[in-house]
Amino acid sequence: MLKLVHNDMIVLLASIGGILILARIFAELGKQIKMPIVMGEILLGIILGPTVFGSLCPDLSASLFPNAGAAKIAMDGITSLAVVMLLFVAGMEVQLQVMLKQGKTAIYTSFTSMIIPFMLGFAAVWFLPGFFTFTPDRKLVYALFFGIAMAVSALPVITRILMDLNLFKTKVGMVIIAAAIFDDLTGWILFSFVLSLMGQAGEITSIGFTIGMILGFGLFMLIIGRYIINQALPWIQQKLSWPGGVLSIAFGLCFLGAAFTEYIGLHAILGAFIVGIAFGDSVHLQEREREIIYQFVTNVFAPLFFVSIGFKVNFIENFDLPLVLLVFFLAVGCKVFGAALGGYMGGLTKRESLAVGFGLNARGAMEIILGTLALNAGLIDSKMFVALVVMALITSMMSGPLMKRFID
Amino acid sequence: MDLSKLKKRPSYPFETIAVAVSFSHRCLPVLAEAKRLSDVCSATLLLIHIGEKTSEKEQHLDELMNKLGMDDSHYRVIWMEGDPVDTILKLCKLNMVDLLVLGALEKENVLKFYLGSIARNISRRAKCSVLLLTNPSEQARKYKKIVVNGAENPKTVHTISTAFYLAKHIKVKDITVVNEMDVPGLAMAIADDSTAPEAKEIKKYLNEEMEENIHSIIKKCDTSDINVINKNIKGKPGYAISKYAKDRRADLLVINSPDTHLNLLDRIFTHDIEYILAHLPCNLLIVHSRV
Repeated sequence: MLKLVHNDMIVLLASIGGILILARIFAELGKQIKMPIVMGEILLGIILGPTVFGSLCPDLSASLFPNAGAAKIAMDGITSLAVVMLLFVAGMEVQLQVMLKQGKTAIYTSFTSMIIPFMLGFAAVWFLPGFFTFTPDRKLVYALFFGIAMAVSALPVITRILMDLNLFKTKVGMVIIAAAIFDDLTGWILFSFVLSLMGQAGEITSIGFTIGMILGFGLFMLIIGRYIINQALPWIQQKLSWPGGVLSIAFGLCFLGAAFTEYIGLHAILGAFIVGIAFGDSVHLQEREREIIYQFVTNVFAPLFFVSIGFKVNFIENFDLPLVLLVFFLAVGCKVFGAALGGYMGGLTKRESLAVGFGLNARGAMEIILGTLALNAGLIDSKMFVALVVMALITSMMSGPLMKRFID
Repeated sequence: MDLSKLKKRPSYPFETIAVAVSFSHRCLPVLAEAKRLSDVCSATLLLIHIGEKTSEKEQHLDELMNKLGMDDSHYRVIWMEGDPVDTILKLCKLNMVDLLVLGALEKENVLKFYLGSIARNISRRAKCSVLLLTNPSEQARKYKKIVVNGAENPKTVHTISTAFYLAKHIKVKDITVVNEMDVPGLAMAIADDSTAPEAKEIKKYLNEEMEENIHSIIKKCDTSDINVINKNIKGKPGYAISKYAKDRRADLLVINSPDTHLNLLDRIFTHDIEYILAHLPCNLLIVHSRV
């Protein structure tokens, strides 16, 4: 049995400590030049990983950040936990009510900003397969994945941009937020569906069963689970230590939900995401508790995950310029067009519609998580992964300035 | 009747006050409250009963109104059969009702809540202001505290003005204008890349901005003799103000009418007014601006 021996333990703890401190330094330095935090963390991963440090000092790199053995398995376990927790907090920000109450403009924008990029992404793989690398038996799954990758948005990045531009309480801001919530919700549900379609041997399992399971679990958690959590939370807050009790229950439910969806053949992220929606929706969840959960996940586990991305592939070797350009222009074109069309159909002016389009174009951490999971599942290759990461980072950085252009 | 006039009719003064007569055990207290309101607002009182008109009912209604010291020259009764919600809403439109008074339970059982009771369904759909009385009283009671929703919405200016208009007439001295803050993604965005002073600054800015908006509305209202408090609270819109009104033991909560047509989905994924209707914290006035 593989066991963490003395040396493995030292390597694991030292690498976690080093990564956390260096990631913070990189993130803070990046902030000075208006770079998203996640970009600083990924940059650190690229420097520490096979792209730079691994190429210059392969032996030292292998001993500090081993790519095999017990320490590597432990680190992979920690980053898997991080993804589950990241999806849990992403779910906590999904407010279904926001979509319901924003009316026609938000409904049109939500729908078109999801469906148009999805269809165009799907069509690109289906009709131009030469640009992409996949095994013939996985064409459908790959096309579905690429459609989703074109359609997702990143609510936290978008909120931050709207906050910086002082737009989030405007009509345009609320439409963007409602559509981002919709895109997140449908994107992650579809993605876990796609992952579940890839059976152990890459075969397509029963689609009806998978859809039934997703709907069953989703409806149960969003109606009954949400109700139970809402009823139980005041008791937890009053009878258990605070905020420890709430944190334990929150993460406990998150992992149980993740374990359940993994058990029934869906991906763990779906369970965490949907439990996050049910938990975050409670009217009794205090702002302080929400903040503590976010701080814990985004400042401890998220850096480990985003830095680990740099360890996965050599970004220079796998930088395929034509593919990067194709993914980038396709992603920007279809998202901006789709979202702007919905906004315009919903009654916004042309300029406002374009602002909505560029706002929703920010892909941020969500796209990177999506890409990482697809890479881990063996669905995409390293070149596509690099192209998705580059696209996510550039769209996050360009979103704010371009929105400002159309709002001013 | 020219229904287009309804479109531009302001939310106050209350010139026509209607009350739904159900002949339940709370009928007399509800009528008494409606009568007092119509007296202080110098409004015409309209009694609406949906159901068969019988001599027993007529006699019972006369007795009730006599108890309140009103003869039939001071009010008008409309008897009509049909679906209670649709018929009441139609009659309110036809008679240019400014305020519809209804008795309502604080909380209904789960099934009734999801199916929708008459009072709740009228509140969701009415094209005039609606006053839901949770604890109506035959004897005149002094209203002390009013809590008003100051949400950022074009309707809010009318809601706040109506609250001040009513406060003047029922002699309330204490109005709290409450602003609820809930921005999806904000907590996560702040947790991601804000220093402690930055986070504090963002929150301070948001608070100040909300206060400024409310101040600009209040400035336009006649606030003489009324103590006005501006309060920012965090939490889900609807739930937060409902809890605040309950904790503060407000006599009346005043809110905007719903922006969209509400249906079962809005009750399952409860939001805004649905939180309040799920459990009324006190009497509730839903202001329909119509402007």
